[in-house]
Amino acid sequence: MHLLVLSLAMESISHIRFTKSIIGLGLFVFLAGGSLFSQESGTTVTVDRNVVQALLQRISSLEASEKELRERVSQLEKGAAPSATVAANPSAPLLSTVSPHPETIAATTAPSQPDPFPKPQSEQMGPVDQERMDVSKTQLNIRGFGDFGLYGGNQKGQTTTFSLGQMNLFITSNLSERFRFLTELVFEVHQDNDFEEDLERILLEYSASDYFKLSAGRYHTAIGYYNTAYHHATWFQTTTERPYIFAFEDEGGILPIHNVGVEASGLIPSGQLGLNYIASVGNGRNSTNPDGEPVQNYVDDTNHKAVNLALFARPDAIPGLQVGFSVYRDALFPPNVPRVNETIVDGYAVLARPRFEWLNEALMIRHAVLGGHVFETPSFYSQISERFGLYRPYFRYQYVNASSQEPIFPQVGLRTGPSVGIRFDPAESVALKLQYDYTELRRQSPVIDGKSCPQLSMCAPNALALQVDFKF
Amino acid sequence: MDPRATSSPRVNSTTQSLAIIINRANPVDNLSLVELRRLFLGERNHWPNGHRVAVAMLDYGQPERQTVLRLIFRMDEKTYQDHLLRGMFRGDVFVAPKTLASPTIVRKFIFNAPGAIGYVRASDVDGTVKVVRIDGLLPQDKDYPLQIDE
Repeated sequence: MHLLVLSLAMESISHIRFTKSIIGLGLFVFLAGGSLFSQESGTTVTVDRNVVQALLQRISSLEASEKELRERVSQLEKGAAPSATVAANPSAPLLSTVSPHPETIAATTAPSQPDPFPKPQSEQMGPVDQERMDVSKTQLNIRGFGDFGLYGGNQKGQTTTFSLGQMNLFITSNLSERFRFLTELVFEVHQDNDFEEDLERILLEYSASDYFKLSAGRYHTAIGYYNTAYHHATWFQTTTERPYIFAFEDEGGILPIHNVGVEASGLIPSGQLGLNYIASVGNGRNSTNPDGEPVQNYVDDTNHKAVNLALFARPDAIPGLQVGFSVYRDALFPPNVPRVNETIVDGYAVLARPRFEWLNEALMIRHAVLGGHVFETPSFYSQISERFGLYRPYFRYQYVNASSQEPIFPQVGLRTGPSVGIRFDPAESVALKLQYDYTELRRQSPVIDGKSCPQLSMCAPNALALQVDFKF
Repeated sequence: MDPRATSSPRVNSTTQSLAIIINRANPVDNLSLVELRRLFLGERNHWPNGHRVAVAMLDYGQPERQTVLRLIFRMDEKTYQDHLLRGMFRGDVFVAPKTLASPTIVRKFIFNAPGAIGYVRASDVDGTVKVVRIDGLLPQDKDYPLQIDE
């Protein structure tokens, strides 16, 4: 990057030299021309002193500029650390961070006084300004999140273990005033101790208005509240883990958390009620190959598509309140089982404020086997917490009750119990969480493997977790 | 958004008032405090004329920014940053605000970006930008709600 600055500076110096040469030549021709003319005509020619003075001043000004640029080049050659203002220059790094420290723009090149005769916008912004002020520039914004923990439980076969969590790179880029690219690139480790990288979300978004936004790619299915409010960074969560019902597919989760398709969302004109909608159609979850990738990223195993509709309200009268519901429909084709029609209904009421949160969400997962039995799996969680300075104690109760004959997730059974914990934020970008879980377990698979119980929450009768979360 | 009021009003000696400024081509003349909060916090991403909202914030710690945090957002800096980060992560906030170093640059940014909104002291306003009324009031009016707390 310094090289670019250096080359620009050298180019400027060359330009100044050239300009000085032209002015000098012009001055020479002017004076010499006057002399020649006087020789030819034999008359005295009066040289305009004002013009000469102006040219001399111009030369002085250019010399000062050259000196300044030379000093700058010298500074850069010495490897001096770029000042804060460099971030605003065209040579600023193309990779920068988003909030909480968004694009800071320095005042170095701004006019000290407003231009009394501002040019039209298309003419006003030179190359430097475009780089600095174009709100639609194509540029990557990256934020990172990670976690690390110590987990232990008394389920048979479990060991107390240090565990790497997810390392999440959240990347966005504004492609134009209405298009945006968004992705979550996650590096994680599973039960086999091997690292794995996933594009957990990858979306191209088009924002036509506040009433219509269209997204295409891989997204979190808008089932209820938690799955759209929290994604793959434990930093944002109060607790160490997501509620069991919203666990990710590759961690034994039972919901179609991710989907590949298109999603429309936006406001519904409703005044102070603050109604919103989210509607999506996508491939749905893989059901024909239980050992395969749960999310159908590239090929759908059937022509049938999953649909989801969510409505919610954020009324002005109660800041932080959000109430809503969603309905998800798909058809599953598990091996050796007739077609299963899947319906997932979710309802929730959430009060989420900076200091206080109270999350309440209930789901019913209905699997209707064609010509056979209907299986209904009820579940809910309730979570409450309040922040006291750097500390945020919390409590959560969870419940999920699935039949042992359930055709899609027979390993779940009954899992219910409380979690208590505390989150401590010793620094702006670091959080410590300590959580204890007590879970009543019935009818689930006793084997702890990568599918049925990769994490300890709701998998062991008693579990303790100490987790460090950070953002960068 | 009430299409009342004047455009580019002359500002007198109300140096302690905070003026909310937008691009001169923006037809909006009046905003309620609730609307202002939604715009600044990214809960509304488009103006009625279709342009995307581009928020300009003055740099950290400046009195004007503190006033916006206190009177419009009702948050401290840490809570605001957390809110912004969550909004970006969820997809609610389409574009992060610009953090600009001086009122001069805020004015220049707003002059150049059709959907921009920002704030400066009323004494820093010039003819390159347009001041919007807040709940029907201009910075020089009595009972104007945005007063800078030095």
